[in-house]
Amino acid sequence: MDGPADSAAPPMLQLTNLSKTFDSGHGRLVALERIGIEIGCGEFVTVVGPSGCGKSTLFNILAGLAEPDTGAKILYNGEPRMAPELLGKVAFMPQRDLLLPWRRVVDNAILPLQVEGIPRAEALKRAQPLFVEFGLSGFERHYPQQLSGGMRQRVALMRTFLFERDLTLLDEPFGALDALTRSLMQRWLLDIWQRHQRTILFITHDVDEAIFLGDRVLVMTARPGRIKLVLDVPLARPRPPEMLTSPEFIALKRQVLAAIEEESIKSFQQVAEG
Amino acid sequence: MRALSLAVAGPLLMVLLWEAIVRSFGVPVYVLPAPSAILLKTWADLPKLLDGLSMTLFEAGVGYVIGSLIAMVLAVLFILYPRLERVALPALVAMNSVPVVAFAPVALLWFGSGPASKIAMVTMAVAFAVFVNAHQGLRSVDESAANLLRSFGAGPLRQMALLRLPAALPSIMNGLRVAVVRSMIIAIVAEMLSAYKGLGWTIFEATQQVDFLRAWAAIAVASAASMVWYGIVNWIDQRFVFWR
Repeated sequence: MDGPADSAAPPMLQLTNLSKTFDSGHGRLVALERIGIEIGCGEFVTVVGPSGCGKSTLFNILAGLAEPDTGAKILYNGEPRMAPELLGKVAFMPQRDLLLPWRRVVDNAILPLQVEGIPRAEALKRAQPLFVEFGLSGFERHYPQQLSGGMRQRVALMRTFLFERDLTLLDEPFGALDALTRSLMQRWLLDIWQRHQRTILFITHDVDEAIFLGDRVLVMTARPGRIKLVLDVPLARPRPPEMLTSPEFIALKRQVLAAIEEESIKSFQQVAEG
Repeated sequence: MRALSLAVAGPLLMVLLWEAIVRSFGVPVYVLPAPSAILLKTWADLPKLLDGLSMTLFEAGVGYVIGSLIAMVLAVLFILYPRLERVALPALVAMNSVPVVAFAPVALLWFGSGPASKIAMVTMAVAFAVFVNAHQGLRSVDESAANLLRSFGAGPLRQMALLRLPAALPSIMNGLRVAVVRSMIIAIVAEMLSAYKGLGWTIFEATQQVDFLRAWAAIAVASAASMVWYGIVNWIDQRFVFWR
């Protein structure tokens, strides 16, 4: 269950020297600077960092929606890719659920399949078994505006999972949920991940969440966004909720917090000087 | 139910007040006839009025449908081909700022006094109204939702069908609603300028013949038809654009 380091298979995703600079009216903003990441098949990697550290920019590039500066190298399944070539190849779940209010739950879930040109009947057949697993059975014919925040998020996740791609990007999927719902959803997500054997890259600003979910935690710095720390999480799976208070967990958390703290102070000083 | 009865109560009260004022002050018919008199006249002249109405509705309806279709096609094309939009949009905006009625004499010259000239003018007025709303709606789609579809591999056409068109429906329906009133106004005004038939023509002819009651009856029929049509579009809007 621990990462792919033990296998000889090439990493599923390898980023080298990935930078992204925005030219705004007020000058250049370096959002990402020389990011290097390797993610193995079936791995659950979490990215944690202060707001404005370029996490979402990184995801937009990986989803094919934005282009990195020249010089970046993206190897996806061992093949070099330009960012736009990744469109349609990575399952991307943005921060907001972005459910379409005119589509019922089931039609929202099968949206990516329809984009692929799969007939509705066939798409429905594929979606059917997932409703129970995603805690949505009985709500197939509801409209998104009739659902709670947690349920909407599960519909969005189901939509992402139905778009079966080698890599799944989740951008703070539980950010807007209350603490109780969030912890339930985390355990549920781990369960789903283990059953479906997906490779997940997961953004969060919650340190507990990053450690609890990840095989590895990447800590990012803000402006320019860099990878400050790569931390392996050797905690056994399945992980019970009590683990959050175990000494091993606390020790890991201390390391992550120390790295973030240093950064926050730095960026705070930048603002103060600014 | 209560909202409905209140909505009916307002106009009813106004009509009653109107009736009371006309009766108690003895207002002459050429200034303002009583609602009851208009109603009786409408009933007496009904076959002729309906004949006029069918012509006006035909002109307004055909123009409405053609104009809406042109507007939708244009709006979609402009979104799919931004270069086309950059070339054509300024010209359209310039044309739109000239009131359509100003083109009436030209339309009559080109298309004659029959229904064709009215249809042409209604088409133009409706096309502008619907286009402005549809274009706005198609444009102002949530960028993140469009990006989500792109990440699923959706090209511009799929984005149009699955996201932009449905997301723009509320704006499109607004345009279609505004266009109802516009098309009735344009058809009636154009008929007043020159026509063989129609409610606008009836109103014009009646005032020329000092038959004010008949003019008012035609106005009443035109208003009623306009309200029913508006109501239908409104109902379609509420029924199918339930998520707004």
